[in-house]
Amino acid sequence: MADHLLQVDDLTVKFGGLTAVNRFDISVQRGTIHALIGPNGAGKSTTFNCISRFYQPTTGRILLDGADVTNMPASTMARLGVARTFQNLELFGELTVFENVMIGAHVHAGGTWRNALSARPAGVVEHVEHLLERTGLTPYRNTSARNLDFGHQKLLELARALAIRPRLLLLDEPAAGLRNREIAALDALLTDLCRREGITILLVEHVMQLVMAISDRVTVLNFGTKIAEGTPEEVRNDPSVIEAYLGQEMAHA
Amino acid sequence: MRDKTAAVLPRSEADLPGLSARSSVPLGRVALLALAVATLALLPFAVTGYVLYIANLLLVFVVLCLGLHLVIGESGQFALAHAAFYGIGIYTSGLAGNAFGWPFPLSMLLAGLVAGAVGVVIGAVALRMRDIYLALATFAFGEAMQWVFLNWDQVTGGPNGLRISPARLGAFEILSDRQAYPVVVVMTVLMLLLTILISRSRLGRSFRAVRESEVAAMAMGIPVRRAKITAFGLSAFFAGVAGSMFATFSTYIHPDSLGFQTTILVLTMIVVGGLGSIAGAVGGAIVFGLISEFLRQTPSYQEIIYGLILIGFMMYAPRGLFAFIRDKVGGGTRG
Amino acid sequence: MTLDVAFLFLQQGIASGLIVGSVYALLALAIVVIFKTSEVPNFSQGEMVMAAGYIALYLLVFQSLPLWIVMPATILAAFAGAALFRRLILNQVARANGSPVNLVIATLGLSYVLRGFVRQTGFGDTPRSFPPVVEPESILIGQASVTTLDLVILATAIVVMAAFFWMFKYTKTGRAMRAVGMNPKAARLVGVDLTRIHMIVWGLSGGISAVAALLISPKVLMTADMGSIVTLGFAAAIVGGFTSLPGAVVGGFLIGIIENLVGLFITSRAIVLAPFLAIMLVLVIRPQGLFGGRVEIKKV
Repeated sequence: MADHLLQVDDLTVKFGGLTAVNRFDISVQRGTIHALIGPNGAGKSTTFNCISRFYQPTTGRILLDGADVTNMPASTMARLGVARTFQNLELFGELTVFENVMIGAHVHAGGTWRNALSARPAGVVEHVEHLLERTGLTPYRNTSARNLDFGHQKLLELARALAIRPRLLLLDEPAAGLRNREIAALDALLTDLCRREGITILLVEHVMQLVMAISDRVTVLNFGTKIAEGTPEEVRNDPSVIEAYLGQEMAHA
Repeated sequence: MRDKTAAVLPRSEADLPGLSARSSVPLGRVALLALAVATLALLPFAVTGYVLYIANLLLVFVVLCLGLHLVIGESGQFALAHAAFYGIGIYTSGLAGNAFGWPFPLSMLLAGLVAGAVGVVIGAVALRMRDIYLALATFAFGEAMQWVFLNWDQVTGGPNGLRISPARLGAFEILSDRQAYPVVVVMTVLMLLLTILISRSRLGRSFRAVRESEVAAMAMGIPVRRAKITAFGLSAFFAGVAGSMFATFSTYIHPDSLGFQTTILVLTMIVVGGLGSIAGAVGGAIVFGLISEFLRQTPSYQEIIYGLILIGFMMYAPRGLFAFIRDKVGGGTRG
Repeated sequence: MTLDVAFLFLQQGIASGLIVGSVYALLALAIVVIFKTSEVPNFSQGEMVMAAGYIALYLLVFQSLPLWIVMPATILAAFAGAALFRRLILNQVARANGSPVNLVIATLGLSYVLRGFVRQTGFGDTPRSFPPVVEPESILIGQASVTTLDLVILATAIVVMAAFFWMFKYTKTGRAMRAVGMNPKAARLVGVDLTRIHMIVWGLSGGISAVAALLISPKVLMTADMGSIVTLGFAAAIVGGFTSLPGAVVGGFLIGIIENLVGLFITSRAIVLAPFLAIMLVLVIRPQGLFGGRVEIKKV
């Protein structure tokens, strides 16, 4: 069993002439929360999409628990215990909250013919109900996903990802657009998932309040290159990080 | 936001009796089901052979609609070659009967399988495309198939059409619509149950996931392309079986009735019934089929009324007949 | 087949192909301009052509009006009819908030209504022919034989296409149409009146269909089902990339030529099959068509 659940070596992604990510490395320790931060356009989402196998890197290697998954199709990642959420919400809009999470359990709902054909495969429904309970979505069980408010939609994406029973949970800006109270609840939930259930979490995030509160380790990207890595404390005081963010502030001003 | 949440019925679950967790089957639905069973059972004792012919034809359209529902309604893939698979089914079962004297249950199975296999092959190529491109590619395939039906004289009889010898099972021969009716009813019920089973299963759920968001489906571990091809193959299988059902009570087939118009007729039925719902597919086939039948005597009016119905539905009942009735009766407001 | 004959066939095929192709190009243009601005494949395009043909026939034969009145009147009627359909019907369909395919189904509805209506008037019962606009005389170009009528068709089609492209490129309305085609939301933000642009686009499409009808009707027998000719327009549009206007024109000429060459070199039975094969081939080998842009990566 490798020490690092996820290891990315020498990842480079080019779109046409543009190098979005340049020779990037990251190692995510088992059972930790690891944050990937950086200014807009730093290449965080591109990296994230490579790891979840939605984009194909130009060069580099992605290892999951020591096994090379660089050429795996995206749809096998769930089976390998990798779940993800989406920056711009990709819910099954017309379907109910319950059905959304049931689809998350897709890889577990098969197994036998009986289970594959059954509307309520053994064990799966209980788990789904449990996840709804845990994310506070039980009252909305039969509501169409697109009719939920934004905060609940984000939670639904999380619940759906958890239905995969992931080893590695990839969260693309889970706090974006949430109110402070909701962020606090997310903070508690993610910490709990990691500490009590041992789910390893890699998140891309802009909300520093959340990143600093829950991360064990933080990696900072700028212009597609890693500029710093360390504990939240270390990263916060790193001059190059401050500069990267200040530069962005200036650009925005 | 609030009032929306309250009024929206979960479409995909609402028409699957027994799936909802707090499963109290509404009385209306039971009554409707009982009425349907009674009608189907008593019909042969009450009406003429011609009416039974119409009933048979309507049930064939029900099965066609169920097939198209799987690929368009459940999976969201606009494949428009349904009439071609229907034709493959008719010719396959017709020829299996004509040339080899196969018993009809066997030729029915063969018809479904041949159509399904062609569907899988075509789907593997066509489903790399989506939306309008998929629609046009399958449309072109459908038209090309109709050309094949018209020009492969040795097999299909070409423009002269094909006489279909009576369906047989041992010494028993189906010689009238009345004799065919029980077979057609049983097949329709079987195909309906199969549709419900698929829709409720993990497979159906993966179809709907693909319809709603391909990227999310992929992230949930659903092999999207395979799901689409499966849906398309199943839809072709249904169309093939529908074709073989037609061959049990019909003595003659001409390629003219296997063109785009027929595909559009089936599409119209599921849209008028309500896209995405099994009840809509069945109801749409029956309601719209009956309308066309009543208007058959006056083709020009038939076309005008047909067109006006389509336009009217799209303007004022965009989610189909059943959603429309539900909204009006329930007084709910839809978002 | 000797080489001489093959060369003769080739010349004839290309000449005839360019002539019918010019009409297919107009049809493709009419389809693409709507699709580009509203993502709706207009399945009633063929019936719009058919209806325009019958309007012209009615005015010309039954009302004995001179051609110089009939032509603009027909084009105007088709423009108005199509624009009104967009404004009164499709606007409501779009507002009704169903599936995007509902707009397409509504155009199918229109195609039934138009066909039924023409049948109802009785004109459609018997195939009729439209009097030619000029007396056809045979002319040899190289070894290919064409008629004066053919040349008038080709010339008119080219003039109409040129006018259309000029309008699309240089007028304010044309620029607004392009903006709507690229990004409707942004276009609205910069003050483009979407309803108005959609109406004009449909009107133009109807007008072009009417021109196509006037050009093709003398060469075919008119029936209520003649709208099926639009399949060739769809084939042309696909070959050209479905969202490219120049592509539609090139596609139209290509389909016309392919169709004629297939007829001359293979068998006339296969002519009707040619466009469908072309559609399938193009979509399988190069789904974006000859002029379509690169398929973009979906951002997640």
